[in-house]
Parts: sequence; structure tokens; C-alpha cells
Amino acid sequence: MQASPSSSSPRRRGLLTRVLVFVALATVLGACATVRPEEREFLAEPAMTFSAGGMTDAHQEHVLNNREGSYGGGSAKGGGCGCN
Amino acid sequence: MQLARMLLGTMVATAFVGSAHADSRFALGTTVFRESGGPLNMLVIAPAAETSLELLDELAVDANWTADIVSGASVAVVDDPGAVDTITSASVADIRHAFSGGVEFRGESTSLRGGMGYAFENDYRSLSFDLSARTELFDRNTGLQLAYTRGLDDVCDAPNARGQFQRLDSSVGCFKDKDTRATRDLNLHTLQGAWSQAWTPVLTMQTTVTAQLLNGFQGNPYRAVWNGSASQENHPENRARYSAGLELRLWIKPLNGALSAFGRAYRDTWNITSLTTQLAYEQVISGGLRIRGSGRYYNQTAAAFYSDNYVLQPAGQYFTGDRELSSMRSLLLGLKVTWAVPSNDEGYVLGFLNSFELVASFDLLKSWFDDFHYGTQNVPNTLALVASLGLQAGF
Repeated sequence: MQASPSSSSPRRRGLLTRVLVFVALATVLGACATVRPEEREFLAEPAMTFSAGGMTDAHQEHVLNNREGSYGGGSAKGGGCGCN
Repeated sequence: MQLARMLLGTMVATAFVGSAHADSRFALGTTVFRESGGPLNMLVIAPAAETSLELLDELAVDANWTADIVSGASVAVVDDPGAVDTITSASVADIRHAFSGGVEFRGESTSLRGGMGYAFENDYRSLSFDLSARTELFDRNTGLQLAYTRGLDDVCDAPNARGQFQRLDSSVGCFKDKDTRATRDLNLHTLQGAWSQAWTPVLTMQTTVTAQLLNGFQGNPYRAVWNGSASQENHPENRARYSAGLELRLWIKPLNGALSAFGRAYRDTWNITSLTTQLAYEQVISGGLRIRGSGRYYNQTAAAFYSDNYVLQPAGQYFTGDRELSSMRSLLLGLKVTWAVPSNDEGYVLGFLNSFELVASFDLLKSWFDDFHYGTQNVPNTLALVASLGLQAGF
């Protein structure tokens, strides 16, 4: 059940590999998207902006973290629409 | 003296506000959480204040405070499951304050933020440091973010020697009386990466991966499990948690609203796996009014060491009375109303602000614990209400 110190290094390397693959995938696929600045009218709407929920969303996340056995994977601030 | 302090505070605040650029903001709000059923009930009132000041184009600072004012009795005490009423409860009354702040350096398309936080209550203290970096690529259609948080927590406990499982009876003497109270450490490392992507003029996406490593005391010191006697729950000291989430948002032009779909997969080394799905729709109404309705379904498996009856079905050296470590499902229905007060012809709101929003939200959370019982009784407190009111001003 408990991770031993000797098993932590391969795990960390595995995690680092996943992070690097994630960044590479984002960079390659991201270059394919061609939304021009003048086409961002709808992307700039608050309803289309990640983490625009602010304090109320943070409180809801706080409640759910305390009422479930899971954690993370939620939204991160900003990015992607050029409107932050 | 007090007047002089107030004047000085006002002058400092005015100087900051006067020097602040267009991206500064202030937010104030309160959330009320109410969960009840049988002898178990909990009320949490959580006021909060957040401020962020853009001092220069390249430099911003933020300071935040929130509190959890807790009252009620949500901790079931299983001292004798043979009794007719197997659920008795421990009274809880505590206030948790959490302060945080940070400094952010902003470039043309990148930013770097460092911050720290400190939270304390009678029986728990938490110190954290965080560092995050964000960049935007390809005409700002792509956003990448990496964040790391280091947490150093202290938990008050009964002074148990190895093999002793006496539960904590109250928070009296915590962090002060070393004869009757012990302090347990909990170390946390959290790493999160996020990729945001605008795919088309009406479709955007964000995917987030999170890894968290915990080492130390992870149980509730007040909670006991009946395994022949009432024993404080005993959790493994190490836990690694991994999750990946994907959210898509689609703008629907004919409706003037946005549809969002979210999914998340989670697993950890305690053998809990979970899936989360959420669907939401936000309608833009004229006059700055927006209404958002959402539904969220959550489903998880139990921890490897969980048992509903440790006398008849022991599950190894660990035991837990945490219902959130049993298999469970939950459904959340939410409604949120936001009103952005319209600006005047010069672009100001209320004469001097760049923006001003009022927010009200209401969530209903229903949970099912099919494999968790207090003696022979089902979990009684499975319905929670969460209501929030807030305002946000940009200046």
C-alpha cells in the first residue's frame, strides 16, 4: 500500500515523461488551430472563459473536495482565447 | 490612535488604487453550506475577500482571505454499535481562517506567479507555497500552464504510542499542551498542468492533469471505527493521487449561450477510481444578466482497505470510518445568476469602476453511500445545500 523510497524515482520519471508528452502534444496540435484575433468575439464571452466563475466556483470546489474521495483535474485559470 | 491607523490605511489603499492599472479587481462573498440528516448536521458559513492589484503592466500582487465558521455535529462516534441508537455525534464548533497572497510577473504572453498561504483552526494548521507559470502561443490560441504547490500541514491528535488508537475527544489543548496532545505532520506536493485551446471561433477546450503526493497523518483524529473496540481510524501514511480532466465549451450563436461538457478520470494508490461528468448551459440575457444551469454526476470505488464491518470483514492493517473512502455516488444540480452592471457612455460602472458584477448561486448535492453503514443504520446526512452571494469589482 505504501510507496517505498526506491520506487519513487521511476514513478517521478514516468510523471515527467507524461508531462513532457502533454506539453509536446499541446504544442503540436495547438499550432493547427487558426482562430484570428478578430474572430474571438464569442470566445471572449465570460461563459466561454475557463475559471471565470471566481469565488463561487472556488467555494463549490472546496465543498466537493471535502465530500468526495477525489481531487484535481478541474479547470485552471485563463488561456486559449486571448481574452485574459 | 485608531483613527490615525484608519487614515493611514485609507491613504495606502488610495495610493495603491490610484497607481493600479486596468486589470485590478476586488471581490467579496459569502457561501453557506448546510448538510443535515438524523443526529448529524453541519453548518458552514464561509465569508471571503480577494483583491488583486496590477501595480505595473508587468507586476501584480494579490491578497486573499477566507474563513470557515463551522458549527454542528457531523462526526459520527461509533463507540458501541450494539446500542439501539448507533449514531451518536461529536459536537463541532470551530473557525478556520485562511490567508494567501502572491506576486505575479507578467510578460507579453507569459506570466510567473509565486505565492504562499497560511490557514489555521483549533486543531489544524496549514502552510503552503506555490509557484506557477503560464504562456500563450500561436496568436494566443494555445495556453499552457504549470503549477506546483508545497503544503506543510500540522494535525492535532491524541498522544497515541505505536499500536494505540485512541481517538481525539476535543480540540482543547491542541498545539499547546504536549502532555495530552500530539502534533502529526502531513506533507503535500501538488503538480498541475493545463492546456487551453481555442479550436474554432465558437469552440474552446481545456484539459488539466493533476498529480498529488501526500505523506503523513491523513485520518480524522476524532473518528473511530468499531473493530472490537472503538479505535481511531488508521490510514496509510502515503498516498499518490492522479486525475485528468477535459472540458469543452461551445458557443451556440442562435441561442446566444454557451454549452459546456466536462469529464474527469481519477485514481490513487489507495485504489480509489472515479469518474465525473458535468453538463452546463449558460444563457446570456440582455442587460448584462447571465443564468447558468448545471448537472454533475460523480461515481467512485472504495479504498482497498475499506470495510463496512471490520469485525466480520477486516481489510488488512488499516481501517477507516470515512464515508468518502467507501464506494459512493453523488449528483449536484446548480443554478447561478450573474449580473454585470452595464457601464455608462464613458465606459465606467457606478461612475468610477471598470466593471461590477453581482453573483448568486445555489447548489443541491445528493450523495449515496450504498456500502457504508453506522452499525445497521444508513448514512442519514446525504443532502447538502450550498448557497453563495458575491460581488466583484474591476478598477
